[in-house]
Amino acid sequence: MLEALEGSAAIAKAVALCRPQVLSAYPITPQTHIVENLASLVADGQLRAEMVSVESEFSAASVVLGAAACGSRAYTASSAQGILLMTEVLYNVAGLRVPVVLTCANRAISAPVSAWNDQQDSMSVRDAGWIQLYCASNQEAVDTTIQAFRIAERCELPVMVCVDGYILTHTLEPIDIPTQEQVDAFLPPYRFSRMLDPLRPISIGNLVTPEYYAEARYAHHQALLRAKDEIEAADRDWAKVCGRRSGGLLSVEGPDDARIGILTIGSVLGTLADAREEYPDPPAKLLKLRSMRPFPADAIRHACRGLSDLVVLERALSMGSGGIIGAEVRSALFGEPNPPRVHNFAAGLGGRDMPLEIYPRLLKAAEAPEPTRFAIMDVELQKLPETER
Amino acid sequence: MAADEKASLFELRRAQPAFRGLEAGHLACQGCGQALGARLVTEAAGPDVIVANATGCLEVFTTAWPRTAWRVPWIHSLFENAPAIASGIEAALKAQGRLTKVVAMGGDGGTFDIGLQALSGMLERNHNVLYVCFDNEAYMNTGIQRSSSTPHAAMTTTSPAGKARMGKRHLKKDLLSIIAAHHIPYAATASVAYPSDLRKKVRRGLEIEGAAFLLVHSPCPLGWGHDGALTVEVARLAVETGVFPMLEMERGDVVAVMQIRNVRPVTDYLKLQDRFSHLFDESPEARVELEHLQALADHHIEVYGLRGTSPDPRDSEGADTVRRGGLRWG
Amino acid sequence: MGLKTPSDALVTLTRGAFAHAGSSLGLKTGDWRVTRPVHVHRASPCHNACPAGENPQAYLALVEEDPRAAWSKLVSANPLPAVTGRVCHHPCESECNRGRFDEPVAIHAIERFLGDQAIEHGWDYPAAKPPPDALEVAVVGAGPAGLSAAYHLSRRGYLVTLFEARSEPGGLLRSAIPAYRLPRSVVEREIERLLSVGIRLEPNRRLGRDMILADLEKSFRAVFLAPGAERGREWSVGGVVPRDLRNGLELLQEWISIGSLPKYERVAIIGGGNTSVDLARVLKFNGVPEVHVISFRTRPGPGVSPDEAMPALAREVKQAIEEGVIIDDCRGVTRLILRGEQVVGVELVHMKKLPQPDGTRKPVAFEGTETVLRVDHVIPAIGEEVEPFGMEAVLGANRFFAVDAEGQVQGCRGIFAGGDARLGGGTVSDAVGDGRRAAEAIDRYIRGVALAAKAAPPSIGIGELNLNYFDHAPRAEIRFLAPEERNAEAEIEAPLGAGEVARESERCFSCGECMTCDNCWTLCPDNAVLKTMETASDGSHYVFDYDYCKGCGLCARECPVGFIAMVDEP
Repeated sequence: MLEALEGSAAIAKAVALCRPQVLSAYPITPQTHIVENLASLVADGQLRAEMVSVESEFSAASVVLGAAACGSRAYTASSAQGILLMTEVLYNVAGLRVPVVLTCANRAISAPVSAWNDQQDSMSVRDAGWIQLYCASNQEAVDTTIQAFRIAERCELPVMVCVDGYILTHTLEPIDIPTQEQVDAFLPPYRFSRMLDPLRPISIGNLVTPEYYAEARYAHHQALLRAKDEIEAADRDWAKVCGRRSGGLLSVEGPDDARIGILTIGSVLGTLADAREEYPDPPAKLLKLRSMRPFPADAIRHACRGLSDLVVLERALSMGSGGIIGAEVRSALFGEPNPPRVHNFAAGLGGRDMPLEIYPRLLKAAEAPEPTRFAIMDVELQKLPETER
Repeated sequence: MAADEKASLFELRRAQPAFRGLEAGHLACQGCGQALGARLVTEAAGPDVIVANATGCLEVFTTAWPRTAWRVPWIHSLFENAPAIASGIEAALKAQGRLTKVVAMGGDGGTFDIGLQALSGMLERNHNVLYVCFDNEAYMNTGIQRSSSTPHAAMTTTSPAGKARMGKRHLKKDLLSIIAAHHIPYAATASVAYPSDLRKKVRRGLEIEGAAFLLVHSPCPLGWGHDGALTVEVARLAVETGVFPMLEMERGDVVAVMQIRNVRPVTDYLKLQDRFSHLFDESPEARVELEHLQALADHHIEVYGLRGTSPDPRDSEGADTVRRGGLRWG
Repeated sequence: MGLKTPSDALVTLTRGAFAHAGSSLGLKTGDWRVTRPVHVHRASPCHNACPAGENPQAYLALVEEDPRAAWSKLVSANPLPAVTGRVCHHPCESECNRGRFDEPVAIHAIERFLGDQAIEHGWDYPAAKPPPDALEVAVVGAGPAGLSAAYHLSRRGYLVTLFEARSEPGGLLRSAIPAYRLPRSVVEREIERLLSVGIRLEPNRRLGRDMILADLEKSFRAVFLAPGAERGREWSVGGVVPRDLRNGLELLQEWISIGSLPKYERVAIIGGGNTSVDLARVLKFNGVPEVHVISFRTRPGPGVSPDEAMPALAREVKQAIEEGVIIDDCRGVTRLILRGEQVVGVELVHMKKLPQPDGTRKPVAFEGTETVLRVDHVIPAIGEEVEPFGMEAVLGANRFFAVDAEGQVQGCRGIFAGGDARLGGGTVSDAVGDGRRAAEAIDRYIRGVALAAKAAPPSIGIGELNLNYFDHAPRAEIRFLAPEERNAEAEIEAPLGAGEVARESERCFSCGECMTCDNCWTLCPDNAVLKTMETASDGSHYVFDYDYCKGCGLCARECPVGFIAMVDEP
């Protein structure tokens, strides 16, 4: 049913529809509205769950780990500093192969302190072993959140649903909230094969020696790679229920004969889609990356066939190296016959506005004689002293 | 041993009249106080319990994959989050309507130091969890480094005794006051030298609704420098000297103490342990430390009222008395 | 820390590397050991001290739950507990480790309780009668030694003929111990039960008069001589003997059997033994105004060594004093003061038995301390020796039988002796013990089996117990009739009740024997001590699982009773 909702409220409703039994909450902008909405739903009796208001994000992640291991569907949300603080736990949850869903309301990381959006937080933990899915819109946030529980529980891998802070979370728009029946048909009750149960006692979290650690890592890595199928399947199956796709691992929009592609992730896709209508020339494809982990290298290679130039636009960077997605895309394309030239830009850092006009500028950059290996867009050097430029 | 004898020993193990939540075959040092404590705790808690264990000796020596000595469902996550894991487990059980008990276990490192925040949060929210801290007074798993629980003047690798320093400078953190400030329904201290008392306190902690905390004094033969056979003796002396007071608190008020009928001088306790050996070189500095430690013990006795005044031998509730035919309670 | 891959077959990694409950049992940590705990039965001091060879620790363990089982255990060594539980000097209590903690366990009173229970309930000895074709052994003398020998021989399957010179069995038990110490009914009931195990009693048969030793040797496989010491020792002072001198033991026996006593006003009994004290008390109970007991030894009590003390039981001496008997200890008689042939007094001098240069001890008189005590009768009660009639060949020139450690008379194959008749004997408990040891020796002798030399292992001292686990508890109070209520017939010492006995038995430390306290089972950090319902082969209820025991030694250290020792790994 179509409701005019703030993004956070919609995500909260989506979570509630999935019948979690345990929620943990620690406030951090811009995620806070999600957990506040959930708290309201619990207080009103619309959601029957244990809400644990913890004393730090470390504990927020730990609570959902404990709950999920004990047989209850569990959820939490965080951003930026909170994500970093709980990093140790994130690795732990993934390595223990416990299904948990977490919303990361993307926000820039201190220092410098910023409350505004970029994606440095979720990108910083991309190696933790979680599935990471990025939402281009609030509708996608709702749909992806629901799919995330199923993916997590089938793969026994935790899923991080990334949603651009403020841009999506604090934006009011009409969003279709599915019915409880629809969600129940799609998402069965929580079952965890290694549930902590006195009738079948096991020990979880053992020490593993060198003789078996590589195998453990291998198995985890393989599980993530295989999760690609599950991510696609969830998108397809949910589309059957509600009629909407969220883009699987990667989706491509635009004319088949376009020779320029722009690959990006998150809410900027909405801006670029609108811009494409305003600036139809030159024609360009939009490569909408949804799954950052597992990284859909095959799909990217396939989507890049026939492209002369690929612009990779991202909202984070690896300090001292350059773009993150840019590097992974180049790595995926290495060895392809006739790969496109890759131009890598970071923009929107710390909440810097990304207006429509960014689109033609990216197209222009794609036509430059030399491809930009990596650049941060819109840096105004006059704001820096000479020695820092 | 003949095969049928071996088989019958295995059957006998399965038929023991007490629940042994911690099984044989773990890798603890000989005479490990923490192993004994953990075995007693799970015995008292029974099989219908889920344990969340922090990183530390106990976790490492019980669960080197593929083996585990635990016979109860058990989870180890990280060093500093056992109370938070336990909170999550408790919330899940509540949501599912199950009555299984939750016990969190951690060492002094994981409780006094790195896990203090999570512990405070769990107690403040009054989760129905019993938190058991096995206090061996240092980071033993990583090789005997000092924690805030290490007693004043004790030697550890990061607080060694030398010409310029006499062991750890700071006092043992008064964790009990911190726990008291949370006003949880039940908190207590216990010792592996008094197993009946320990089991009784575990049961009390599990019976009450809400958060409970139990501090179990657990000598470490390797870290404290004594023979494994003396673990119980050392723990007993810690109690009999007043160094480790045995108390029970409800809502932050001390409601019961185990009285000491014959108070022993602190040196009786210290001289059994190499970690205090530098205090016995008869130098003036060592003398000052000994007196200080005696004063600290005397202070405990005074503040908690530990001196036994009643002639009734049962004033320790028979905590240390044996009877023909076995312990009839605890 | 020994974190290696499992040495068993290749295991496949579980998801998230979880492990199955109790899988640690696959790692046998027992191979860490350099020493291992073992159960060791240690002799308890009460056992080593008992002249009859009882093991009080063993039957105290049973008293609370099953008094009959406790009694059965007791009578496997001593068939007459209702008797010894009244007259024994209980060295078990002197050696009791509990006595060095607070007060010794009241073993003596518990023994009496068990004996009385058996009489009250008519319990039978747990032993079968020997078959009618069993080998035959002769026992001469139906006093405590002979009765004990007959009982033990019968238990071992021998047919015993018990010859008794008098008309009734019992020896000094019947004839010389007054009823206020040992009621007649108790003696009769104990002996009646004892004789019913298939022993053939032949009263009125005196060796030498009615049969000769040589015939016994021919007709029986072996002979046990327990004729007691019936011949009073000669007594005189400087060669002088009063005209109407009566022997103390004779007087006592006469009073016990027919109840008559000469009329005395002021009496001095010479000698510090039980006969002397008993006679003194009997005289007092019968109204003799002034009764003295004169002994060169010291009145028994705390701080007085057995070497120096009067041989009489300390409690008897104490009661005698309460009843008005005057004990003149550390005194000797130097002169009889006569008028005509009548004694009018004795000269006493301070005396002490002191060690001599040659190592012996002799009574030494201290010149200048003489006093005169006005008495009209002097009664010696200075002990007896064996009446040799009928046993000259075996006795030789000795006053008592010289026997080896087992009771065989030196130089006489097949002839054994014990009780007061043996050199070194003298108490009822010793006599009972002699009978048992001789029965064992006779059994081996008949079967042709050599003696396995076994010295009694030293008993476990209090330093080897872990006293942290015991609480102080007061000893049961044994009550006596107030002196003014006492007479010569009624038993003076009151029995303990069943509840008191049960509580008192709990005070036993169970020295050197498992008391199933669960300490080892409770304190093993490695869950390597297993408890068993049935008794294990070593008599305890615990088994060490050596597959996992790391040899830390906690169980041995914390065992309250010293039952566990750490020994080197084989």
